[in-house]
Amino acid sequence: MSTELIKVTINEQEFEVEKGAKLIEVCREKGFGIPSFCYYGDLALQASCRMCLVRIEKMPKLQTSCTITCTDGMIVTTQSEEIEKAQRAMSEFLLANHPLDCPVCDRGGECELQEMVMDWGDLEERFVERKNAQPEKFLSPIVANDPQRCILCKRCTRVCDEWMGEEAIEAGNRGVNTVIGTYGGWLGCSQCGNCIEVCPTGTLLDGVYRHETRPWEMDQTRTTDVYSSDGMQLSIGSRGGEVHRIVARDRYVNGLNGEFLDVKARFAHGFINSKDRIKTPLIRYKKGGKLIPSTWDEAIHFVGSKLKESGNNVGVVASSRLTNESIFTLKRFATEAVNSNNYAVSDAYDLAPFFDNLSAPLCTHKEIRHAKTILLIGGEPEEEQTFTAKQIRQAVRNGGAKFIVVHDTPIRLAAQASQFIHVNKGSLDAFALAFADQSDATITKKLGAAQTEIDDLLKTIGETEGDFIIMFGGDLSAEAQAVLANVAGSFASDTRRALLHPLPLYNNSVGANDMMAGKKPLEEVLRTSKALLIAGSLPEDKTDLLANKDFVVVQELFETATTEYADVVLPAASFAEVDGTFTNNAGFVQRVRKAIEPIHQSKPDWVIASMIARELGADFGYNFSSTMVFKAIADSVPAYEGLRYPLLKDESKPVQAKYSPVAKRDLSNEFAALRRKVEALPETSEKITETPRVGHKLHRVTTMTGKTDQFHLLAAGNPKPENLLVSPLVQFNLDGTPRLVEMAEAASVNVKDRIDDKETVASKVVLK
Amino acid sequence: MSIITDVIQSTVAVIKGMRRTLAEIPREKWTVQYPDDPITVQPRYRGMHLLHVDENGKEKCVACYLCAAACPSDCIYIEAEDDPRPYEQRVGRDERFAKVYNIDYNRCIFCGFCVEACPKDAITHGYNFEISVYNRSDLLKTKNDLLITKQKQSKNYRVALSSEDVDSEYKEV
Repeated sequence: MSTELIKVTINEQEFEVEKGAKLIEVCREKGFGIPSFCYYGDLALQASCRMCLVRIEKMPKLQTSCTITCTDGMIVTTQSEEIEKAQRAMSEFLLANHPLDCPVCDRGGECELQEMVMDWGDLEERFVERKNAQPEKFLSPIVANDPQRCILCKRCTRVCDEWMGEEAIEAGNRGVNTVIGTYGGWLGCSQCGNCIEVCPTGTLLDGVYRHETRPWEMDQTRTTDVYSSDGMQLSIGSRGGEVHRIVARDRYVNGLNGEFLDVKARFAHGFINSKDRIKTPLIRYKKGGKLIPSTWDEAIHFVGSKLKESGNNVGVVASSRLTNESIFTLKRFATEAVNSNNYAVSDAYDLAPFFDNLSAPLCTHKEIRHAKTILLIGGEPEEEQTFTAKQIRQAVRNGGAKFIVVHDTPIRLAAQASQFIHVNKGSLDAFALAFADQSDATITKKLGAAQTEIDDLLKTIGETEGDFIIMFGGDLSAEAQAVLANVAGSFASDTRRALLHPLPLYNNSVGANDMMAGKKPLEEVLRTSKALLIAGSLPEDKTDLLANKDFVVVQELFETATTEYADVVLPAASFAEVDGTFTNNAGFVQRVRKAIEPIHQSKPDWVIASMIARELGADFGYNFSSTMVFKAIADSVPAYEGLRYPLLKDESKPVQAKYSPVAKRDLSNEFAALRRKVEALPETSEKITETPRVGHKLHRVTTMTGKTDQFHLLAAGNPKPENLLVSPLVQFNLDGTPRLVEMAEAASVNVKDRIDDKETVASKVVLK
Repeated sequence: MSIITDVIQSTVAVIKGMRRTLAEIPREKWTVQYPDDPITVQPRYRGMHLLHVDENGKEKCVACYLCAAACPSDCIYIEAEDDPRPYEQRVGRDERFAKVYNIDYNRCIFCGFCVEACPKDAITHGYNFEISVYNRSDLLKTKNDLLITKQKQSKNYRVALSSEDVDSEYKEV
């Protein structure tokens, strides 16, 4: 967009605006409210609701302001009798088939149509004809659909296409018969739920929050996502100590992700109030015995006395799902309370090689959206860093960016790529070497790609003017990551910025790496320590190492494979019950806020760690205030210097931790190790040609997502039930097999049943 | 003024008063000997709430929370739930119904806003005013206490004086 200014007259006031600005945006910015449904910034234009009509001089009819770009000397009227008459008529038409079932509609209270009708609608409806009643049905376990409430703004279809690239939901038929529908009547997509979020009416509804409460009854708490490392900002709706739903609506939260969330962030909140949560501290007095409930005082005393026996042989393991505050306190626990250097993060992907060799600045999600060239090496952002994937898609689609994928699997995102370098299975390391050291042409043999492909790639990068982004994930070896992070800076020039973007696996992997400076590899800590304090659970394949330990303390939400080895299990609070911060993959330090009081007797992880430390005679001076913990972080972690909670208050202006790019180091050791690895690769290898199934990682049932029943059905392949009028949860067992006996009564719900309800309501109210 | 005049005037006054009293004795009496005699109230009297049911005995309430939103003393507590079964088997008239519906009569001020807010005519004021209890916590009435089908069985259930029966078990929406 150029910065040239032009003059526009709106309602007899003259304004200077940027050339090429949208008229609707300009009018709203200058304080002239214009109603609209179908307009959604960042999406393609639609102009189907025709509520944003304005009068522009020298144009024949009223114009839709959402499709008009400002031109010099334009004279616009946004309020007049003529316009109001047109808008009132439009809203009457929109309501012609809309049922009056706001009392049972889950959107009632925060519905854009409801608001617009309060402003622009007439009190009485003149249409007395019978409404085209259609029953409410399910499109998937977590998307409910009421076609009759639809006003055909097509926001959902555009979001599905542009943000997600899935085109799972589309408009069918024409004219008055248009319906929003799916292919085969069932949604087989990644179930991100963004169509639900942007729907201005109650047409698409959250099936997890279905008929639970109403919007105004809930307290909205702005906080950060606990699943993906993108640090998406969301709003937790809670009522009476229970989390009911998670949304990212603009009216509640304005984070870096806008209204975008993925299936886990939006729907997998069942674990917070799950009945399986550990309620009290549990102690196993005898090895092999049972876990017996106890009090906090007794448990802390027991842990303290046992840890004193173990002396310096205590290892501390933190999960990268915890807040920065908790991880930092656990590190202090290791170094100050038990005087040991045995601390680690239980993350499968260690970010230390990346950050130790950071030669270019970290790139934010906004920069991805406006990047010119993006190079993705390994990883699968559309399954794990969903917001990054959305930004890439939009950069390619709306920004014309060049997107290059290097992968051994044809991931779904590769369909968007301008160049896809399909390497041999497991030979991403070879690519890293070939990319960093272009002198050695023999590597490409192992790679399974032609040298010309790499030449093309380098040529594209060379021609880039603007931002060039390299992103890679944990499927590269540590040496390859170090080499790539180190080489990235050399692509920068006067007209080009080189930026790096890691693809960590967990919400606070980056923060864990910052907090636990000097951490050891997880396996080493597990092998060498006699006693262990573990916050969160270990990866399942590592739990065997816990056998034969003297003493194991686990802070967890649920009983997992790790707690089976535990001598003491302490109930920890989930992310919705604590104050703290997460650091995302763009380096943004974002607040986590307490939405509900800790469930049962659980306590935040850092409180538990400081209580044990106090029992051992070390006081961190936190006074049980998370602000004090964060101050201690800011004082001792260089990248977080000077940060305080008040500075992180506004989620629309996230604060980036100050990672300073390191000077180019001599990496000959890493190069040598990498070369050895590449030489060990087989000469010929078969390529993976199958594109992975949608949601093969997103819909995995884990300790956390498994507590939301809908995820079991998604993981079981999202089967389509016989009766769409009833929730699939009623019709299927959790493993995806049809539930035959109990299903009978629910499945006997027929269309007439549901339509009768509506007709009595609609016709009677209209005729009144 | 002599004593004689005084006596005459007083006697006249007493006779006047007694005439009025004696004249009223044979007339119809308005005083109700409550609690020995039953009492009836005016149709628009606002007593303890009634939750209505439809002609098939299904609860009319759809748990839209509008009564709770309108309530100035915040005494209504609702928990909604989804009932996917067919009409014949479910509790309420609609798929959405109130799993919990509590009115706290410690706080209720009988203003009638909830009745006005209700889009389904599911809640009205009944005519029962005998809700005194020995224990404050007993003033928290649950759905079981408020449903008209349950209240009809109570000896406190009463109807209005007039023929205009606003307390009918089911009323057209």
